[in-house]
Amino acid sequence: MGSRSRRVVLPLAVFVALVLGWEALVALLRVHPVLLPPPSGVALTMARTAGPIAFHAWHTLVTTLIGFGAAVGLGLLLGFAIGGSATVNDALYPLLVGFNSIPKAAVVPLLVMWFGIGMVPAVLTAFLLAFFPVAVNVAVGLATIETELRDVLRSLGASRWQIFRKVGVPRTMPLFFASLKVAISSAFVGSVISETVASNAGIGYLMAVAASDFNTRLAFGGLAVLAAMGVLLYGIFAVIERRMTAWAYAE
Amino acid sequence: MAFVGRSGCGKSTLLKLIAGLLTATAGAITVDGQPVGGPLKNVGMAFQNPVLLPWRSVLDNVLLPLEILRENGDARAPGLGLWRDRAVTLLATVGLTGAELRQPRELSGGMRQRVSLCRALIHEPALLLLDEPFAALDAFTREEMWDLYQRLRAQREFTGVLVTHDLREAVCLADTIYVLASGPGRIAGVHGVALPRPRTLSQVYGAEGTELMGRMREQIRPGRETAA
Repeated sequence: MGSRSRRVVLPLAVFVALVLGWEALVALLRVHPVLLPPPSGVALTMARTAGPIAFHAWHTLVTTLIGFGAAVGLGLLLGFAIGGSATVNDALYPLLVGFNSIPKAAVVPLLVMWFGIGMVPAVLTAFLLAFFPVAVNVAVGLATIETELRDVLRSLGASRWQIFRKVGVPRTMPLFFASLKVAISSAFVGSVISETVASNAGIGYLMAVAASDFNTRLAFGGLAVLAAMGVLLYGIFAVIERRMTAWAYAE
Repeated sequence: MAFVGRSGCGKSTLLKLIAGLLTATAGAITVDGQPVGGPLKNVGMAFQNPVLLPWRSVLDNVLLPLEILRENGDARAPGLGLWRDRAVTLLATVGLTGAELRQPRELSGGMRQRVSLCRALIHEPALLLLDEPFAALDAFTREEMWDLYQRLRAQREFTGVLVTHDLREAVCLADTIYVLASGPGRIAGVHGVALPRPRTLSQVYGAEGTELMGRMREQIRPGRETAA
């Protein structure tokens, strides 16, 4: 088996084995389906409620992407400012780190108080979780330009803006694209947290409702959809990263 | 000319002062009779670390200075059509024909350093400032680079300022060697090197070269007066 197919087939095989093992154990130990439904039951419920699940999944996806988009925009700006200016760095970086160490779930009630139940607090939570990795990675990429390279360019009369454009931006790109993978996952976590607490739509809401109805099958169904979406989003940005900055990886 | 001395005696600082990248706290630096006020524009620089841009091909790395000059409306940037030719010719003189479209990561350390030299020379500067450019290379490659540097010197008009801690390198490449001593940084000796060019290794290791290196070593060694 080639190393490439190995990397696809092996984890898939483990996943299938886990699902089969789960199915067998539930049947063997006669676990009550409200406690732990068998995967086949979960799949059945998912198929039956495919319509509503798709609606809620779409809602979560849109919420996540809006929050993510805002986070990328602000993260880029903030990262460029922090990486480009020692003064801005000294002034903002400690605050940023402090802010990032607040568990964002604790901010959700405040957001709900201000913006009501719905999409807005979810978008904001996604944004709050996602912008930090982008800002930090971009700042690091800019701040670590080699002194020698700076000297070479300055001795040609290059302005700060030229150094930023010719060297700063391209050398930051691998870090930026790497941070997108982290940011999209964080945004996803943020929107689902907020939906679970205060929303009328989205997978987080669906799971909260399912749990309060003791509908374990549906809760697991929601979880499966979340897992699939998370993997998919991460995968998309991993591919984009490789495409955009091949020079940083090829060896 | 070359500046030699121990680490920390201010060799690299001196280069940055000459290039106008640092401002002198006292005294004045003049280049070509003009006091240096800000970054000079007629210099090329190369360092121990070649710092090529890994996302650009060899050719595009060498062309970077021309892009900057052109954007800044500098008269020394040739027409766009001539860029490529000039870079290809320069790369050929350092033996990099055929490597134009390769990526820096595919090159050996010696090749990268040659690209770095080309980048420092592409805009035909009057001053070439070299800060231990060959220090990270293996001994054989370094000696090849000495030959290469002498070829470039013979072909082109520029004043080379070399900072190094390798006395053989200084003897091989420089007409005048300034020995710097540290604590406080000062010039401990000035030596003219009268060996004919191009210099070979056997000349560097010959009686005259060996004697010169011996004298310089004495001057670099921390003396009793500095230990006090």
